[in-house]
Amino acid sequence: MVLEATMICIDNSEWMRNGDYAPSRFQAQADAVNLICGAKTQSNPENTVGVLTMAGKGVRVLVTPTSDLGKILACMHGLEIGGEMNLAAGIQVAQLALKHRQNKKQQQRIIVFAGSPVMHDKKALEMIGKKLKKNSVALDIVNFGEDDGGKTEKLEALLAAVNNNDTSHIVHVPAGPNALSDVLISTPIFTGDGEGGSGFAASAAAAAAGGVSGFEFGVDPNLDPELALALRVSMEEERARQEAAAKQAAEEASKEEKGGEEQDATMTERASEGASEADNKKIEIADDDDTSLQQALAMSMDEPTSSQDLQDTEMSDAAAEDPELALALQLSVQDSTKDSSSQADVSKLLADQSFVSSILASLPGVDPNDPSVKEVLASMQNQSEPQQKQDEDKAPKKEEEK
Amino acid sequence: MSAAESATAIQRNQVDLLDFIDWSGVECLNQSSSHSLSNALKQGYREDEGLNLESDADEQLLIYIPFTQVIKLHSIAVMGSEEDGPKTVKLFANREHMGFSNVSDFPPSDTAVLSPDNLKGKPVVLKYVKFQNVRSLTIFIEDNQSGSEITKVQKIALYGSTVETTDMKGLKKIEDH
Repeated sequence: MVLEATMICIDNSEWMRNGDYAPSRFQAQADAVNLICGAKTQSNPENTVGVLTMAGKGVRVLVTPTSDLGKILACMHGLEIGGEMNLAAGIQVAQLALKHRQNKKQQQRIIVFAGSPVMHDKKALEMIGKKLKKNSVALDIVNFGEDDGGKTEKLEALLAAVNNNDTSHIVHVPAGPNALSDVLISTPIFTGDGEGGSGFAASAAAAAAGGVSGFEFGVDPNLDPELALALRVSMEEERARQEAAAKQAAEEASKEEKGGEEQDATMTERASEGASEADNKKIEIADDDDTSLQQALAMSMDEPTSSQDLQDTEMSDAAAEDPELALALQLSVQDSTKDSSSQADVSKLLADQSFVSSILASLPGVDPNDPSVKEVLASMQNQSEPQQKQDEDKAPKKEEEK
Repeated sequence: MSAAESATAIQRNQVDLLDFIDWSGVECLNQSSSHSLSNALKQGYREDEGLNLESDADEQLLIYIPFTQVIKLHSIAVMGSEEDGPKTVKLFANREHMGFSNVSDFPPSDTAVLSPDNLKGKPVVLKYVKFQNVRSLTIFIEDNQSGSEITKVQKIALYGSTVETTDMKGLKKIEDH
């Protein structure tokens, strides 16, 4: 969750017409750029991203660093291919754009897509690299497309000059069956120096379970220590009960991912929730059986449209739990590499009455001695029908909304 | 001499401004990651001759120090070795977020060229009138004594006095009875 301002340098030279990356090099590059923009803005709402093109008539800044994803995606339309890439000028203009960023607290990063041959000599590139390092700008290089005239060597030299404590990376993507974006998702360019991939990246690539588990532990100290603790406990419980719930979870997981993707889009505009919300989330996950997840998701998908505009914090907090719930559910389910459910860990968790009541006691709106809450707990331990649970789930939710 | 006496008299009222540095905002550009600014500024580290602040890509360093309250800066002591220690040091008062590209955009509040005496610990007295109302200090080390690639600074100490401003962190809520 590093606070970062990023400038993406796009190669729109003649070499990008080539079709060795499906559908064309330029299109593959554009897809990768879209993904990166999404991932950056997702990982921290205050991150800004800007885009410039390096070829054509000259280096042109399409959009200065902004956190408005729509603006960035819009500027990618109607780009023309032509000319030769000017790598040195591109990087220098990017550095200048970053220097004039509005929030000086952001770390500076440049991501360069180098698809065509590099005309500059190694010395010049090393000078540029040193200047970037001196001004503490990190550089990520995506080396794809043409590979000739010592291009790889030059780019490696550039990286060595810039690199400070492994904040800069280079990725070589050869032409092949895998799309450029897919290859990039697993690289540190996306995952942000090993902090963990964002939920956006994970949901975009359906099978990226590895990225999600990275996200969880990346969130731990920064966002919600209590949520992190709860998730960690659930992970441990999962491992104990994997076999039993594996089949059921596989079905649910595929449905949830779809719901989770749409939730991510609404999530980007939401402010971060407090620790008490994390507890609420965990309890609500606990209350749900997997088969009632669908109903919970359906409910939550109805609510966000109204909740987004709400000025009343109390209501918006309560309603906000639901899309958070969906995302948290999706995360905790995707956590288990074998697609086992959160139900398994959940039931074990709830079996521990003292743990549950201690968590409930810490929630602001919930009184553990409240009859409806006690009813829920009793029913959890009896492993009652999903329908009944869902009703009781609504009851504590309403309780918290009060 | 009366001038010398008054100079030392002023000196007596000056305190080491270490306690008034706002550590959360301290930044240093072009420092080497293993030899960072704390080695030169922090109590204990700066006394240790083995621990230096070193530059990374080239010999220049840009240090930004905000303070927790407004201070008057009287003098600065920069210690280093005779070969790799800093030579030209420019000080800018109350300029935020400077970069190497805009150090030449405006004149420094003061410039000090360090002699071997200074590098051994003798403080450089600054133009006191220029530093009457300092919220933050930017120190630009332009070059070093021998012109080598790396500048090494063993200690940076700031001497001055505080203006009687409220320390916002010291404000405590009055308990309601």
